[in-house]
Amino acid sequence: MAKSLLIVDDSATMRKIVIRTVRMSGLDFDRTEEAGNGAEAIEKLKQSPVDIVLCDVNMPEMNGIDMVKKVRAELPTCANTKIIMVSTESSQDLIDSILREGANGYITKPFTPERFQEKLSPFMN
Amino acid sequence: MIQHACFADTLLDAAKEVFETMIFMDLQLCSEPGRRVDGEALMATITFSNSIEGCLAVCTDTTCAEAIAINMLGLEAGADLSVEEVSDAIGEVANMVMGSIKSRLTDTYEGIQVSIPSVVRGRELVNSLGEKSGRVSVQVNLEDAHLMEISLLYRESAK
Ligand SMILES: [Mg+2]
Repeated sequence: MAKSLLIVDDSATMRKIVIRTVRMSGLDFDRTEEAGNGAEAIEKLKQSPVDIVLCDVNMPEMNGIDMVKKVRAELPTCANTKIIMVSTESSQDLIDSILREGANGYITKPFTPERFQEKLSPFMN
Repeated sequence: MIQHACFADTLLDAAKEVFETMIFMDLQLCSEPGRRVDGEALMATITFSNSIEGCLAVCTDTTCAEAIAINMLGLEAGADLSVEEVSDAIGEVANMVMGSIKSRLTDTYEGIQVSIPSVVRGRELVNSLGEKSGRVSVQVNLEDAHLMEISLLYRESAK
């Protein structure tokens, strides 16, 4: 069954690259939405939850860590939404703390379609 | 403390990784080291802090910046792009190069915090960090044509 996807990144260019990489990875989404920061993403998720969120960490307004916390604390309709962080931040301590806050995976930039395939396919069934 | 020459290799390796895996452009060290970008240029900077602090800058002329943005967005050569689209693309190049540098330096400098990139447009752009800072820069050619300068200003932080 096709899934829905929300891409959260403050760079419009990066959102396009993520969309292209998802396509190259062969993963099938029937709905793809975009948000420019955590706060915008929360608004979109309130209106309609998605299956998978691909989320940047460093963003103005609301960063990715605060977004994860808020989704897990305040959006029960997104309890089954999988949140995969996509970031240039690569320190293991930071990755561990984001996973503890409720993110389901982590992809570092720069990335490849193979990495997307590996990290997202467990959540595609 | 990391050696100056080692920083230059780190800059080059980081830029190569980003351009090969995410932008699909060939990147080689320029044969004329020290050559400056002329004409109207874009400079994306990103600051970092913790045990080491400073600023990474990526500078290139507007034609090259447009070529990079076109590749990043997967558009046809010559596609029309807005000033914002090109700036955003160059900012994201700096962000990714900084990310790659950070992961390469993580054994020596842990927990480096980075800012959100900012981009300026103008001529003869330079960045500076004042006294007691080191500066390394590498000049590279993209697709055998365009010149890009990547520079890192840094100092060990007082804290
Ligand atoms: Mg960002």
